[in-house]
Amino acid sequence: MSSSLTRRSFLGLGAAAGTATLLAACGDGTVAGPGGTAGGTLKWGWSTVTSWDPVTSSAGWDVHLLSLVYAGLTKLDEKGNAVPALATGWKYDAAGTTLTFTLRPGLKFSDGTALDATAVKKSLERGRDFPKSLIAAQLANVKSVTAPDATTVVIGLAQADYQIPNLFAGKTGMIVSPAAFEADATALATKPVGAGPFTLTAYVQNAKATLTRNPDYWDAANIKLGGFEAYPLPEPATVVAALQSGQYDVAQIPGSQVEAAKAAGLPVQVIPSLVVAVLDVNIAKKPFDDPKVTEALRYAVDRAALLKTAQFGHGDVAYQPFPKGYAGYSNSLEGIYQHNPDKAKQLLAQSSYGTSPVEVVITTAKAEGVPEQLQSQLNAAGFKATIEVIPQAQATQLVYVQHSKALFVDQFAGRDSAVQAFQVLFGKEGLMNPGRQTPPELADALAKVSRTPLDDPSYPSVLQAATAVAVKSMPNVFLYSVPRILARRANVSAIPEFTAVQRFEGVTVS
Amino acid sequence: MSTLTAVRLPSARLALSVLAVVTFLAVAGGTVAPHDPLLQDPDLALRGPSLIHPFGTDYLGRDVFSRLLAGTGTTVVAALESVGVGLALGVLPGLASLWLGRTVEWVLLRAVDAVMTLPFIVFAIAVTGILGNGLSQAMVAIGVLFAPLFFRVTRAAGLSLTRAHYVEAAELFGASRWRILRTHVWGKVVPTVAVTAAQATGGALLAVSSLTFLGIGVQPPAPTWGGVLASELGFLSQQPWAPVIPAALIMVAVAALNALADAIRPGGAA
Repeated sequence: MSSSLTRRSFLGLGAAAGTATLLAACGDGTVAGPGGTAGGTLKWGWSTVTSWDPVTSSAGWDVHLLSLVYAGLTKLDEKGNAVPALATGWKYDAAGTTLTFTLRPGLKFSDGTALDATAVKKSLERGRDFPKSLIAAQLANVKSVTAPDATTVVIGLAQADYQIPNLFAGKTGMIVSPAAFEADATALATKPVGAGPFTLTAYVQNAKATLTRNPDYWDAANIKLGGFEAYPLPEPATVVAALQSGQYDVAQIPGSQVEAAKAAGLPVQVIPSLVVAVLDVNIAKKPFDDPKVTEALRYAVDRAALLKTAQFGHGDVAYQPFPKGYAGYSNSLEGIYQHNPDKAKQLLAQSSYGTSPVEVVITTAKAEGVPEQLQSQLNAAGFKATIEVIPQAQATQLVYVQHSKALFVDQFAGRDSAVQAFQVLFGKEGLMNPGRQTPPELADALAKVSRTPLDDPSYPSVLQAATAVAVKSMPNVFLYSVPRILARRANVSAIPEFTAVQRFEGVTVS
Repeated sequence: MSTLTAVRLPSARLALSVLAVVTFLAVAGGTVAPHDPLLQDPDLALRGPSLIHPFGTDYLGRDVFSRLLAGTGTTVVAALESVGVGLALGVLPGLASLWLGRTVEWVLLRAVDAVMTLPFIVFAIAVTGILGNGLSQAMVAIGVLFAPLFFRVTRAAGLSLTRAHYVEAAELFGASRWRILRTHVWGKVVPTVAVTAAQATGGALLAVSSLTFLGIGVQPPAPTWGGVLASELGFLSQQPWAPVIPAALIMVAVAALNALADAIRPGGAA
């Protein structure tokens, strides 16, 4: 990736500066009328996507970039509550099995075709029925989608599920242009057609995505940026210098670089997120087919030490998939698997392996850091751990599809809906449940969560009960929360602090 | 200047002294290390130099000095392994190309030309991708790419000898090829090969360090010079001086090998 200012970007900056000067002369420096013009291109060092098609995207955090080009019927606010987006509102029937959305009138996709109820119906049905869909499991409860008129979408559910508005705020609910996928669905992987705040104009895989503002976006008035450039996650050692030099305007930085960024005069935001570091444990594979070994693993891990090394203390020790303050966070689980190597040894001695060290392979895409530390911690607790490095590009196939690894060092990116998060982590078809087993009591607890309206006073306690069942019955070992740490140049306004999908409404580059 | 005379040069003596230390560390590095190179103490992570930790600690609180000492053996053995492979695959075919006829010569030259087109690091990465991520696999790959160097040097050194009067006389007297090679050619070729081997070992040290820097060949937490350098580079903002130590170690060892090669080269440094 070039670190130098290219002639084109220099001219672009010059043009942007000229525009800003003109606008400032007229009053507000960064003005964007409804669907009108805007200025400034934000260069974001973050990540690229596995696919620009939300139906086949295989990484949880693709959602951040995908949300730049796609919009859903709903979106999540800063607190994680579903609020109107393409839909102005929605209503459940008394049984909770029929959900009616009302669309904004006159919506358009970036290809100019109409975004009406029929388009929404086709898009959702594709997500549910497309053979290669990776969101089909989340839409399995959607029995029917009907479009009685141009602005009304009726979702028929097999069972009551009050999570749908949250679910539709993420990848699952991103509306794709039917004209695009009916013409060439495979092209969507590199040429997305949605109705988001930006339109992808150029894309070099694993290198750069260039986007321009979509004046037809339903909330275009709040999009102050004229364009967007997304780059892969910068190298930790050089990210601060890259920000200082102007290679990026905003970048995700690791905890180790926070002090350096602050010392360089860069504003730093530590945004609580739904991301949590986790060990994917396959209970269908040795040695974790022995429940005592799985339990020993929970006590063998020193989460606080991992947090200190991996995050430089930014974040919290985690024993559950949800961060503090989230409705599903259960206080009763705090410290449940406190680091106790002696107890881990006792549990291993009670296992079928007796007192001999239990061999375990830690699979990871990068050996340095947490895997090394984990190896040391496990060895101190009666395991005999070795590290196996697999290429990141193969991790999805080996871990999520073939389920061929016993222990994988992973991160869970969180999901817009709590039930969806449970499905990914613990569901029988869940990507991060390689053992493919879900105890009946957890399925029952989840069904109860789905049946409970989100505004029902009992919802938090029902969700927390499900969290407790999951943490106690499932093998996943949660390690620590991973806040989104963003450093930015002084010419960029503060980034809105969303726990789920990062949004850029109101952000300006001067 | 004879090889014996050459090693009396100050530069050669200094190089030999450095290499003697490196050799000692390669053999005994792990045992003389003051701390367990794998022992982690996150509470002591990224500390500066002190009496207890002369080169400070890394991101897991491990003693960097001990890791460098313990990593010497792996790094040096891997470099020698690749040079050994290069010698084995280069020297004998180099001589064979001179004495086994035009067909063998043509085939060997074309094969060497083909191998010379391959880039070192990329080839080693590809080989480890196919054969597994082990240092031996990587160094055999590097050794294969060293072979053309030894082939050409050996061939060039031997080429003038094939038409030497005493070699022709030996042939007229009915001496076998093997006897001619052993008694009349080998002794003349060895000094040149030795110089090349010394230089190649320096190159191999860089190759090992580069590969382990990239995480190829040796799996963390096992220490290597390149691996220590890579881990220190990740924390430049905390310890900007830290990568200098492993980098200097690599640089000094390579410089010593090059200085030695320069000194013992026939007609070399005076």
